Amino acid sequence: MTTLAPPATPTSPPAERRGPRYAWYATLAVGLGIGLFSYGYQLTGGLAVTGLTNTVTWGLYIVVFMFLVGVSAGGLIVVAGSELVGSHRMESLNRLAVIVSGTAVAAAAVSIIPDLGRPFMAWQMMVSPQLMSPLVWDMAVITVYLTIAGIDLWILTRPKPMPRSLRIMAMITLPVAVLVHSVTAWIFGFLIARPFWNTAILAPLFISSALVSGTALVLIIAWTVRRVSSWEPPSHVFQDLAKLLAWFVAVDFFLLVAELVTAFTSQTEYHLAPLEMLFSGRQAPLFWGQLGFGVLLPFLVYAIPKLRARTGLLVAAAVLSVLGVFAKRVNILMPGMYEPQINLPPGASGGVPGGGFVLDQLYVPTWVEYGVVIGIGAFAATLITIGVRRWVLPQAAAEGADVEDAGDDEAARTH
Amino acid sequence: MPDATDVLGSLLAGGDPNEGQAAMVERTSAIEALPAASREWGEIDARSDAPRWGMLVDTERCIGCWSCAVICRSENDVALGMWWNRILTAGDDLDTPKVGEHGQLEMEWMPLACQHCSDAPCEKVCPTAATYTNDEGIVLVDADKCIGCRYCMAACPYGVRVFNWGEPEKAPGVEEGMVQARPVGTVEKCSLCVHRIGEGQEPSCVVSCPAQARIFGDLNAPDSRINRLLHDRGGDQLLKEKGTQPKVHYLPPRRRRSL
Ligand code: SF4
Ligand code: SF4
Ligand code: SF4
Repeated sequence: MTTLAPPATPTSPPAERRGPRYAWYATLAVGLGIGLFSYGYQLTGGLAVTGLTNTVTWGLYIVVFMFLVGVSAGGLIVVAGSELVGSHRMESLNRLAVIVSGTAVAAAAVSIIPDLGRPFMAWQMMVSPQLMSPLVWDMAVITVYLTIAGIDLWILTRPKPMPRSLRIMAMITLPVAVLVHSVTAWIFGFLIARPFWNTAILAPLFISSALVSGTALVLIIAWTVRRVSSWEPPSHVFQDLAKLLAWFVAVDFFLLVAELVTAFTSQTEYHLAPLEMLFSGRQAPLFWGQLGFGVLLPFLVYAIPKLRARTGLLVAAAVLSVLGVFAKRVNILMPGMYEPQINLPPGASGGVPGGGFVLDQLYVPTWVEYGVVIGIGAFAATLITIGVRRWVLPQAAAEGADVEDAGDDEAARTH
Repeated sequence: MPDATDVLGSLLAGGDPNEGQAAMVERTSAIEALPAASREWGEIDARSDAPRWGMLVDTERCIGCWSCAVICRSENDVALGMWWNRILTAGDDLDTPKVGEHGQLEMEWMPLACQHCSDAPCEKVCPTAATYTNDEGIVLVDADKCIGCRYCMAACPYGVRVFNWGEPEKAPGVEEGMVQARPVGTVEKCSLCVHRIGEGQEPSCVVSCPAQARIFGDLNAPDSRINRLLHDRGGDQLLKEKGTQPKVHYLPPRRRRSL
């Protein structure tokens, strides 16, 4: 077929779509601005401007860090996994998935900076690393993971396909991905001071949660990009992702139950205290909410073919999954922090002048923390936007032309 | 040369980066200037060639007066809102002491500071080796290396570390301590008054205790008072099951103190 006009590249969409695009850019700019302002404010006042205390020493920043490391799993594992089993069904998602993963790791690395009391001294970790510290291991694996995402993207964006290199990379990616999530879990899991975290299941649990949130996020972003551009992945990818998600959610839930049941039946005080907090205490709304809206509801959508066939519903379920995993991170961090081993009056020192002593610290993030997190989100969204515009949309345009030229071949290949 | 952060920190605080250092030397020699009687009172008893410093808290003698907690703050220039050393009270809250047998109220205190663990969880997780154990078994924090990640605080089972959340503030008119103040964004905790040990003096909290409930000494010296007491009366370590092997020991009360 002949087209008179040059193939419509998504970088120059029809005039009526420019409005939303600029609105999106403006939103990103505002988000980044809020983040920078909040962080600047924190730099001048120290971490005293956060809601953290000498008891709850880690809070929202660390939750976001855990969460971002987690969502980075989805993309790379989907690509590497289908590559290793020789499936090409997800191929159209490859670039997008790698961009989402790479962005998430980069954002995770950035998200740890505001948690540091002295970010200007972070180089000490390079010149004087203490090799026993899981934090040092995490820095190393995150660097490796980021590099892998970069190499994957490079391979995927070569004009000629490089199936062999992609396969080799897939073989490297999977173990490193497992390591990234395990090491992040071990940051918490190795601490004998926190019985709630000090369990062998934490690493598998981090991996399963990572798979849920990562895959769900790829689904959401794929759907969004499809809506706002001419990029059109084959419709079966959404169904494929949904089926994967059903499995991931089920495994994630199983591991959580296995842990909670073990802790619960032990009936020892230091196991029960955090559980009480989850079941009926401070964290209960978030805990039951997470199970109902973050696990059960989305699972039904993923598992029931009639429901998952409705893409809108599927995307809503994926959003719930992502939120559910975020809530789960909070529910892992807070009980561990709230329950000191020695908890006698008058409690821990407040940490700030006039803070007195507090026996039962309640952690509530301040606007500064929310502001910084908004900034990190905007940073991630900016990277994804740039990546999608640079590498996904042009490919879509090229393939679009390709499909029109050889529609039959394409159809034959996918069957 | 002072490093960039220190300069930045003190610029924020409006001070001279070298000031603290010079002041520390000056103030440490202030110990030498103490009257002979005070020096003698605080002198460390028997010590071996390779000392391993430890502390013993006799909970039978402790009267919960907070003297040691307060002198610790001035000795070590601990900023407002932070305590290296606290006195915990048995019971559910401060107003209601523990209820014992037959409904009697029981009084019991547990002075709590860093336990100077021989297998210190805080040291193992510190990414920069800012937390370290010195040759004499004292767990210390090198503020110059600390990046303020607070991993050590999450790792310490005893909850004794405190963080400089903001620029350290002093109560107006309060004299500075015997050591340099730590900058904003770093972690700190009991140092067993390492600067005093160097001068042959016991930690401040030991000297100040009106009930003489604190005994300090060399765990490696067979005839040090701490070792003799440990030998005679046993002694507990807090959260022993965690395997941290604290060098701070507690003597349980031999008789109950009831109201
Ligand atoms: S008591 Fe806490 S801070 Fe002190 S050595 Fe042990 S783990 Fe470290
Ligand atoms: S806060 Fe400082 S001392 Fe504690 S682990 Fe981090 S770098 Fe080490
Ligand atoms: S030994 Fe020194 S630093 Fe430690 S609690 Fe006693 S007075 Fe404070």
